Amino acid sequence: MGYGDEGFTIYDLLLWAEGLGITLWIFILSTVIGLVLGVLIGLVRYYHITILGKLLMIVSESLKNSPVIVQLFLVYFGIPALLQIDMTPNMAAVITLSGNTAAFVAVIVISSIESIDRRQLEAARSFALPKLVILRHIIFPQSLSIAMPMLVSLAINQLQVTSLVSVIGVIDLTRVGDIVNQRTFEPFIVWPLIGLTYFILAKLIAIVGMRLERKFSAYRLVGEL
Amino acid sequence: MIEIKKLHKNFGDLQVLKGVDLTLKPGEVVSILGGSGSGKSTMIRCINGLEGITSGSIFVDGFDVSNKKELLEVRKKCSTVFQQFDLYPHLSVLENITLAPVYVLSSSKKDAEAIALDLLDSVGLADKKDVFPAQLSGGQKQRVGICRALAMRPDYLLLDEVTSSLDPEMTAEVLDILKKLAREGITMISVTHEIEFAREISDRIVFLDQGRILSDLPKDEFFAGDGGLADPRIARFLSKMGEFNGQA
Amino acid sequence: MLDLASITEYVPAFLDGFIITAEVSILSILGSFILGILIALMRVSSNRFLNYTSLVYVDLFRNIPFIVLIFFGYYGLPEIGVYMDAFWTGCLVLSIAVGAYVGETIRAGILSVEKGILEAARSFGFSKFQIYAKIILPIALTISVRPLGSVFINLILTTSILSSITLNELTGVSKVIASTTFRPFEVYVFLVIFYGLLTFMISALISLWHRHLNRYLGEEAS
Ligand SMILES: Nc1ncnc2c1ncn2[C@@H]1O[C@H](COP(=O)(O)OP(=O)(O)OP(=O)(O)O)[C@@H](O)[C@H]1O
Ligand SMILES: [Mg+2]
Repeated sequence: MGYGDEGFTIYDLLLWAEGLGITLWIFILSTVIGLVLGVLIGLVRYYHITILGKLLMIVSESLKNSPVIVQLFLVYFGIPALLQIDMTPNMAAVITLSGNTAAFVAVIVISSIESIDRRQLEAARSFALPKLVILRHIIFPQSLSIAMPMLVSLAINQLQVTSLVSVIGVIDLTRVGDIVNQRTFEPFIVWPLIGLTYFILAKLIAIVGMRLERKFSAYRLVGEL
Repeated sequence: MIEIKKLHKNFGDLQVLKGVDLTLKPGEVVSILGGSGSGKSTMIRCINGLEGITSGSIFVDGFDVSNKKELLEVRKKCSTVFQQFDLYPHLSVLENITLAPVYVLSSSKKDAEAIALDLLDSVGLADKKDVFPAQLSGGQKQRVGICRALAMRPDYLLLDEVTSSLDPEMTAEVLDILKKLAREGITMISVTHEIEFAREISDRIVFLDQGRILSDLPKDEFFAGDGGLADPRIARFLSKMGEFNGQA
Repeated sequence: MLDLASITEYVPAFLDGFIITAEVSILSILGSFILGILIALMRVSSNRFLNYTSLVYVDLFRNIPFIVLIFFGYYGLPEIGVYMDAFWTGCLVLSIAVGAYVGETIRAGILSVEKGILEAARSFGFSKFQIYAKIILPIALTISVRPLGSVFINLILTTSILSSITLNELTGVSKVIASTTFRPFEVYVFLVIFYGLLTFMISALISLWHRHLNRYLGEEAS
């Protein structure tokens, strides 16, 4: 089948492992940063710290309503051009995906805080508990049990989103697929294998997520007794 | 004629109907009374094939309900009015009534609409033909439900507690319509908790208890005396219904 | 610094990209909608084979990144003798992938149709096909307008990925503009805002449509 047909080598397997590592690394890093940022943004918005809250809202709405690929281009090509700084593809990838994850986490945080029974909050206030205690012992555990399923499906979605970092040159799983495909011209072997890898990762996240969901909903039940 | 013979119906291990025999002749109006959970709804649902039967048989004018091909004929002959109305929420009142005649009986749209408008007129809802079910009161919904059933020109009308989701005023407006239908000679089988209504329209009263027919009597015998003829359980049931006290 | 003047001469090219984005979006929305209805019907069918096949379909296409699917389609289809350009490959793969999401959304709509309404329909002697065509699907689709809307908005955002198989839609064109003008920041900020306004307008339209379709549900809606 022509010139590029060199067949697979053991090197391809190493490349695959490397790509998998990069994908996982970007996924985990951006999820952790995105979670922290998202919770902060959510709290700021929920507690009406006005100007900051509005600004954050505009940013997070833009992140939610534009393609991640464009956000990646903006961060990778746009920001270095504007600020005259250097940016590696991996940095740009983590920055973009963290911001993107944060935008979605913020929405989840707000909606789960809002869905907690208001009467319960008032009851807590009537005991004159300090704000931080209310947050820590009443709002946090309960919102977590409400937010958990949403966070799990967000994580599964964000895993897929990591595949887009290949377009700015990050050598992740998808990029590895592209490289091997270009060399071997075996799309029917390469892409199903790459797809399968993502599929298995997604299933693993789902399994971990289900455990977490169960754990935190148990917490919720105990909390209600 | 509707002929129910040795009808058994189980839900898993639960025996709901334990050998019911019942015959309904053309022109007859039969009311089914009985306590909650006695199997009244289940029996009605077996007649139009909404529940498969466990054993026994049901024939409607010779068509076998448990035969898949004949079931369609049974359904064309029997129309049901439901407790929760169950109108099609996405269709206008007129469309609710014409849908089955057009698609099941293959009537022309024009004919179906003419019939529907007549029916709506007869229940005092001609001006509501273009509104959607959600815009109607409960009583109005049920009157549309009756029109929907009658539009099929059914030989038999099956009613399952058609007024129990309604407040008293709306109940009266629906019962009036059913009384009129009964006087006009329609054949109907009606599950009800409205004793006075049953007394007024029925030719026969069937009392169901724990999946068995406890009594199947002409109205006059059923209500004769102070429950003397009736089983003590029926008497207790009737007295629980309240209205019957002091009447006999 | 923001320099909008340098962008204006690229407006025609940008519009060309927009038209391609619009075309791909519309075709793929239609395609995924039709596929999605089929998938939803298979998912609720009592036939084991259909049921299982559709379940696998949904599970696969919801858990494999779109860019992997599009590369597979773009490089794989010619291998089996199917020659399609980036545009049609994009439409095909988008329809297939988004069809899984549409299917799940419509399935949820189907499952939320009240049981009593279905029984009423059965009792009047409608055939299974008639019940689906005249009662279940119209109600399910009406209920699903909003969630379907967000699936389709996602589809529109996903068309940007087609730039990686050389399709010059909005994002592809912008990439070219960014590199010829050396103004990547301005171009991409503008593009973010443009997509944002686009999705905002579309979701506003969806809300209106939802309200129109659900008008008869009165207070029960919303
Ligand atoms: N689909 C079902 N699956 C399991 N059990 C059922 C089902 N439908 C009805 N039953 C049971 O069958 C029994 C009879 O129910 P049915 O609805 O026929 O009673 P009913 O006489 O109509 O009572 P009511 O006056 O409360 O309407 C009840 O115990 C009920 O729980
Ligand atoms: Mg009942």
